[in-house]
Amino acid sequence: MKRIRPFRYVEAFTVREALEILAEEKEGAYPLAGGTDLLVRMKRGDLAPRALVNLKRIPGLDGIDAGAGGDIRIGALAPIAAIVDAPLFSAGQRVLAEAAGVLGSPAIRNLGTLGGNIGRASPACDMAPSLMVLQARVLVEGLRGKREIGIGEFFKGPGSTVLDPGELIISFLLPSPASGTGAAYERVGRREGMDCALVGVAASVTLSGNDRELKDARVTLAAVAPVPLQARRAEEVLLSGPLTEARIGEAARAAAADCFPISDMRASGAYRREMVRVLTCRAVARALRSAEGGKD
Amino acid sequence: MKIPICLVVNGERHELEAGPQETLVEILRERLHLTGTKEGCGIGDCGTCIVLMDGVPVNSCLVLAGDLQGRQVLTIEGLDEDGKLHPLQESFLEKGAVQCGFCTPAMILSAKSLLDRDPAAGEEEIKRALSGSLCRCGSYKKIVEAVQAAGEKMGGKRQ
Repeated sequence: MKRIRPFRYVEAFTVREALEILAEEKEGAYPLAGGTDLLVRMKRGDLAPRALVNLKRIPGLDGIDAGAGGDIRIGALAPIAAIVDAPLFSAGQRVLAEAAGVLGSPAIRNLGTLGGNIGRASPACDMAPSLMVLQARVLVEGLRGKREIGIGEFFKGPGSTVLDPGELIISFLLPSPASGTGAAYERVGRREGMDCALVGVAASVTLSGNDRELKDARVTLAAVAPVPLQARRAEEVLLSGPLTEARIGEAARAAAADCFPISDMRASGAYRREMVRVLTCRAVARALRSAEGGKD
Repeated sequence: MKIPICLVVNGERHELEAGPQETLVEILRERLHLTGTKEGCGIGDCGTCIVLMDGVPVNSCLVLAGDLQGRQVLTIEGLDEDGKLHPLQESFLEKGAVQCGFCTPAMILSAKSLLDRDPAAGEEEIKRALSGSLCRCGSYKKIVEAVQAAGEKMGGKRQ
């Protein structure tokens, strides 16, 4: 039996209480959300927290609801499974549900939370690319107050974010995408279930007016850089003229050229780079079909 | 440090005190002696320890004692009714979907969660629902067949 070393267990009933306990215990205390990552690191001996502060008793942190100004608010403790089935998403926002649906396994999705997945800041994080094309904002709170951080500025490196010590993610705010927006998430793993992404690519496309002119295009990549990456040059290529197959191909080559994949036991850097090209083509094509009003 | 917890396992209410570092699989196997639930990797990768918590599959190696308060847990021991096997258990026997048997409790519980929602679930849905459990004997094909057969017994009609 893989056991965990004893720790002090504290349940917080308000965000304020959680922040105060985390501040008292300093680096020795970790917030507990779904536990699917934290407990693994504790069992492996990579982490030995003095205390865990369970956030799951705090009311309202796990909801998915309509927030202010047309935003959708996803609480930090919303299980990944709840995002797969969230009825509130518009066509353009469903890319987040799509990403949630390929994360881990059904059992992991029932436990794991969006806040945990993002706060862990794994370069292979499945949820980040979709949050980035949706231009989500992260609402965080510390003892000194609340602040909002754009998801694109949230990650600093593997396992590292711009959160100050003792700050907690409270929720994610998804602005309503412009009408005529379609988006898609494509990923490859070595197998479909229970494998972290070798490469993940999210793309969104916005068409407007009767002539269905391209107004906006976004491409973001996971698992091919220390942080989830916005493929800016690929976006520029997409926006430089009509979205022909040739232009999508050129954008995909730009995305592949601009990332920094590593070679490890899962895949070589060269394979990951080629998959960035392939998945960018697929994701943009599918986003375009969705924006044009097709089913996908 | 011990925390008091009260949970219902297979319809039976249990009140116990557990260390906060104890996981659900430890509590099931070592305190309640329900050894039908197996621990494989212990870190959420193999899915062998899957049980149903409030009706949905979870990796019991990743659920801490503090999150068990008031929960309804179903393990493989709770599946039969008065000695009569659940359709999934029957179908696993009929189709020979059990080789070493180590993954079987988790496979059956994940499948139950799916068939309770949709007894007519097709092959692809079944594969997705079971994707969190490894079978190192490689019995996947017969496992999927057994789940399909159980679905039919449970009233699912396939087109």
